[in-house]
Amino acid sequence: MGRKLLLDKAHIEGIRHYDVYRREGGYRSVEKVLKGMTPEAVVEEVKKSGLRGRGGAGFPTGMKWSFLAKPEGMPRYLVVNADESEPGTFKDRFLMEFIPHLLIEGMICASFALGSNRSYIYIRGEYWWVKEILEQAVQEARNAGWLGKNILGSGFDCDIFVQPGAGAYICGEETALIESLEGKRGNPRIKPPFPAVKGLWGCPTVVNNVETIAAVVPIINDGGEEYAKIGIGKSTGTKLISACGNINKPGVYEIEMNISVEEFIYSDEYCGGIANGKRLKACIPGGSSVPILPANLLLKTAKGETRMMTYESLSDGGFATGTMMGSGGFIVMDEDQCVVKHTYTLARFYRHESCGQCSPCREGTGWMEKILLKIEQGKGTMSDIDLLWDIQRKIEGNTICPLGDAAAWPVAAAIRHFRDEFEWHITNPSDALVRNYGLANYAKPLEVMPA
Amino acid sequence: MKFSEDKLKVVGEMISHYPEGKQKSALIPLLHFIQKHNDNWLSPEALDYAAELLNITPIEVYEVATFYSMYNLKPVGKTVFEVCQTGPCMLRGSDDIIAYIYEKLGIKPGETTTDGLFTLKVAECLGACGYAPMMQLGPDYREHLTKEKIDALIAEGRAKAN
Ligand SMILES: Cc1cc2nc3c(=O)[nH]c(=O)nc-3n(C[C@H](O)[C@H](O)[C@H](O)COP(=O)(O)O)c2cc1C
Ligand code: SF4
Ligand code: FES
Repeated sequence: MGRKLLLDKAHIEGIRHYDVYRREGGYRSVEKVLKGMTPEAVVEEVKKSGLRGRGGAGFPTGMKWSFLAKPEGMPRYLVVNADESEPGTFKDRFLMEFIPHLLIEGMICASFALGSNRSYIYIRGEYWWVKEILEQAVQEARNAGWLGKNILGSGFDCDIFVQPGAGAYICGEETALIESLEGKRGNPRIKPPFPAVKGLWGCPTVVNNVETIAAVVPIINDGGEEYAKIGIGKSTGTKLISACGNINKPGVYEIEMNISVEEFIYSDEYCGGIANGKRLKACIPGGSSVPILPANLLLKTAKGETRMMTYESLSDGGFATGTMMGSGGFIVMDEDQCVVKHTYTLARFYRHESCGQCSPCREGTGWMEKILLKIEQGKGTMSDIDLLWDIQRKIEGNTICPLGDAAAWPVAAAIRHFRDEFEWHITNPSDALVRNYGLANYAKPLEVMPA
Repeated sequence: MKFSEDKLKVVGEMISHYPEGKQKSALIPLLHFIQKHNDNWLSPEALDYAAELLNITPIEVYEVATFYSMYNLKPVGKTVFEVCQTGPCMLRGSDDIIAYIYEKLGIKPGETTTDGLFTLKVAECLGACGYAPMMQLGPDYREHLTKEKIDALIAEGRAKAN
C-alpha cells in the first residue's frame, strides 16, 4: 500500500467536522507555524519539500511564494483555485467534500507564510454543495479560534471566504480567476504584470491549487525533507489522480510518485484494469489538455523504459512520444472507443470555453470542432486532416492565455498518434457510422528507438 | 423587484467578504442568489436590481450575466436536466442518456416540454467524470445515470409540479 498524506483520514466517519478532524490530529501544523516559525521558515520548508503546483503546470510552490512582492502598506492575498473544470479532473472536489478542514488548515499556514490576512477559495459554481461544506468548515474553524484576529495569540489575523464561480472553465486560469473574483467576466489578463506583483484588486497575489495548499499540512508536520523522500527525482510527495473512462474502478486515488502507469491502471489498489474484460487502447493521463497516447507509448517510453507516474517520465519524449502529468485527470479508453469522436468532444469543449479575446483561439477552436465533426460523421476529406493540423499549429503560442495551447494539443496528439484512424473515417465513411476503428496496432509493442 | 429585509441582510453579508469599496466582487454570488429567488432565471429587471444593490452600472451586470453559463437569461422549465456530454462522460454512455430523455419527453438539448415542466440542456465537464454518466439537477448532481434513474427523475419532476 502506498503512503497517503492527504486522504489517509478522508474515510473516517465524521472527519468532515471539526471535532473529529481535530481529534485525529488536525490543526497541528497551524500550532507549529504560529507558535515557533517565521513566515520565511515556512517558505523554506515548502522549498525543501520540492512540492510542485498540482493545478497543472507543476511550478515549484516554494519558489512561487518567494516571488511574491511585498510593497509597504499594501495587502497581499492568497487565492485557492478550486475551479476544477478540466475534463477528467475531479480530485479537488473529493478532497474538499470529504476532508474540507485539510484545505483550511493548509490555507492558514500558507496565509501566514505569504502575509495574507484575507484569503479566498474560488470554487466552481456547479460544486454548490461543496461550497456549503467549505463554508460550514470555515465557520467551525472560526468558532474554534483558528481564524479571526490574533490567532493563538500570535498577532496574526486571518479570515477565509468562499467565492463561487458561475460556469466558465477559463476562470481556472489564474488571471481570469482574479478578474472573476473582482466581479467581472473571466477574461485572462496579459502577463506581465504577474499576479505576484499585481493580482487581486491590484495587490500582490498567490494563486494555488487546492491540492497544493493541502500538501502544505504534511510538509509542515513532518518537515520538507521527509516529504521530499517520497517519489522519484523532482517528482516529490504524493499526487491525487482522478481516474475515469473505461476502467473497473473510476475514482480518486492518492499515489506515491514512484509507481508505473501499468500498475496504476491494472492494480486492484487503483483502477483495477479495463472494464468488461476489454483491452486498453489509449489514455489521456493528465486532464483533457495533455497529449493522448496510444497504449504502447503509454506503458513504455520510446526508449523502451517503463513509464512511471511522475512528471518527468510522463513527459519523456516530449510531445513527439510523451505526454504530461497535468492536473492528474486520467482518462482511459478501451478498444471500442473512437479517438476521433473523443477528440471532437474536447474540441467542442474548448470552443465553448474560449473567452473570445484572441482570434486564433476564438476562431480556431470553432473550426477544429466543425472539421472533427465532419470527419467523425464520415464526411471528411484527406485534406481536412492537414487543415486541422494547420489550424492547431496556428493557435499554439499565439494567444493571451494557455487555453489556446490546451485546445491545440489534444488535436495535434490525436493526429500524430492516430492518423490511421482519421484516415479510416475518410476512406470508409459508411463503416464509420456503424462501427469503430477498434484497437488496430495501438497496443502492439513498438520497436525501441536507438538511443 | 425589491428584496425583503431578510434578503437584504444576506446581501450585506456577501458584501462583507471584501474590503471596503470592493462590493462589485459580490456580483457573481448575488446573481446566483437573485436567480434562486426569481424562478431560476435572471430577467432584465432582476439584472438592473443587482446593479442597484451593488451601486454599479447596469452594463457591468449585463457583461457578467451573459458570460457565465449558470445564469439563465430566459425562463426555464421547473426541472432542468443538464447532462454532461464531454469526452469522459461520452465514454460511459452520455449520448444514450440524452437519447433516452428525448424518447421519454420529446425534447432535445435546448428545448422545454410544452407543459413547461422539463428543460433539457447539455453541459460540458462538471467535474464528476468518474461517476459518469451524470447530470446537474438544480444545485445537486445525479451520477451513475441509468434509464431507470431517468424514469425516477422524471416521476420526481412531475410530482414536484403537482
Ligand atoms: C484554461 C486554464 C484552466 C485552468 N484551470 C485550473 C483549475 O481548474 N484549477 C487549478 O488549480 N489550476 C488551473 N489552471 C492553472 C492555473 O492558471 C494556475 O497555474 C494554478 O492554479 C496555479 O496553482 P499551482 O501552482 O498550485 O498548480 C488553469 C489554467 C488554464 C490556462
Ligand atoms: S487563448 Fe482563448 S481563452 Fe485564452 S484569452 Fe485568448 S481567447 Fe481567451
Ligand atoms: S466529462 Fe462529464 S463530468 Fe467530466
